[in-house]
Amino acid sequence: MSSSTNILDIKNIEVMYDNVILALHDVSLKVPKGKVVALLGANGAGKSTTLKAVSTMLASERGKVTKGSINYDGTSIDKQNPSQMVGLGMVQVLEGRRCFGHLTVEENIISGAYSRKLSKGDINQELEKIYTYFIRLKERRKSQAAFTSGGEQQMIAVARAMMAKPKMLLLDEPTMGLAPQLVAEIFNIVKELNQKEGVSILLAEQNTNVALKNSDYGYIIETGRVMLDGTAQSLLSNDQVKELYLGISKKGRKNFRDVLKEESLTKKKIN
Amino acid sequence: MVDELLFFMEVLVGGLLAGTMYSLVALGFVLIFKASATFNFSQGAMVFFSVLAFCGFMQDFNIPFVLAFIMAALLMVVVGLCTERFVLRPLMNASEDTVLMATIGLGYVLEGLAQAAWGVEVRRLDLGIGDFPVPWIADNLKLFISALDITAGLVAAIMIIGLFLLFKYTKIGLGLRAVADDAGAASSIGIPLKHIMLLVWSAAGVVALVAGCMWGARAGVQFALVDLALKALPVLIIGGFSSIPGAIIGGLIIGAVEKVLEVYIGPFFGGAIEGWAPYVLAIFFLLYRPEGLFGEKIIRRV
Repeated sequence: MSSSTNILDIKNIEVMYDNVILALHDVSLKVPKGKVVALLGANGAGKSTTLKAVSTMLASERGKVTKGSINYDGTSIDKQNPSQMVGLGMVQVLEGRRCFGHLTVEENIISGAYSRKLSKGDINQELEKIYTYFIRLKERRKSQAAFTSGGEQQMIAVARAMMAKPKMLLLDEPTMGLAPQLVAEIFNIVKELNQKEGVSILLAEQNTNVALKNSDYGYIIETGRVMLDGTAQSLLSNDQVKELYLGISKKGRKNFRDVLKEESLTKKKIN
Repeated sequence: MVDELLFFMEVLVGGLLAGTMYSLVALGFVLIFKASATFNFSQGAMVFFSVLAFCGFMQDFNIPFVLAFIMAALLMVVVGLCTERFVLRPLMNASEDTVLMATIGLGYVLEGLAQAAWGVEVRRLDLGIGDFPVPWIADNLKLFISALDITAGLVAAIMIIGLFLLFKYTKIGLGLRAVADDAGAASSIGIPLKHIMLLVWSAAGVVALVAGCMWGARAGVQFALVDLALKALPVLIIGGFSSIPGAIIGGLIIGAVEKVLEVYIGPFFGGAIEGWAPYVLAIFFLLYRPEGLFGEKIIRRV
């Protein structure tokens, strides 16, 4: 794969919080233009940190990329700030939806267009287009966002991000705490946005099975390191992934570190 | 009986109108609290600084009234700009307490600068509006109400309408409300926090100037204006720290209550209860309705 076909190229980054807490040891990943890439792992594995490193939102949490490089759409991101990244077409949907609770659903969505210089008419046109993907939100456009359901709030967050007309979306656990039916609905919308709008997507998920079924490629990270990567198909049929992430567990092994430990033990025995 | 009722009306209306003067001061606090969840301790100093500059322009340089007012307003925008650049931006990721302490420091800086530039003596500010009863109202309604109070009421009304329109119908207003709800999420969709900060500090500066003009015309432009900030505290506790209508209503309540209590209950305490009655009221609010009358309730979905 040549580098020009990758919209995002992360090379061996290390991330520290407060100059002491090492959150990412060595993460490299690529997102090809127009594809959906899943970043999988348990709580605390470093998924959110990776996404925030890309959107440059780390700074507001006193985090810093201390090694490696991140290239987005052909340019390095290290001198950018979040609003500049949005200007370049990269928008992050933060974990936990984070809607503006006191604003109406429609105001929430419109706020996503803040960085673009649009006339009232253009905004309405964009809004109508967004509503074709999020039909449910159109019905609730006048409600205060805080009083909508969890699934609706997730849709608001994605719709809001889409109003910025992104080339790339970073989705942080879009299905957290949602019922299976809603999980499917959210992923359908994400797929549709990817195919019809051509948005490249990097999504962090704990829900390995659903995420891989809706992605082209996947990376599995543990304690700040990429342990395994491959096409979504190959990961879904990988025995270790099945065992460790798809809940078909045996022998009490819980993560790749355990697997590596066991392997080195058996090697020693053989020797 | 009729006389007593008229007298009560006069006390009440006088109190309500005087209350709008408190509202004007409280408005400045609300603006900044909405955007940064910080109580701006330098608001009183901003009132003093802005109105002293206004007087200085007029009296020391003989600049005409309107031009001097515009210059003072622009100066407050510059103050907002410097505050954003040299105080808030370096503290971007610091805790709210740190920012709070910084505003106390900023207050001292502004007080010092104002007095260094324009001297320490009390100045008279003549707005061309007398602080005495309007003859027409006194003759026809038998109420003695100060022209300055009526002006303050009108100015407060205009400002609240203006701010409401700004927040509800403009793009930057939407940005401000978004930041007030969740600054992190707002920056994730490209709303530049520094523009919003610049806006609210400039707006708070101009509001401070207007409040300063009203108070300066009544009590003279002097250092004591700084302590007005303290009177705004019970107003904000009653009205709610994050609500613009709350600041107005809170001011009206404080103004009315303190005057009525002073006149009818004051004598039993040897008078001068105006000074502390608002704080007693504020304590009751803190106990039974801590978010204030109009404060944004923390919305929790169940």
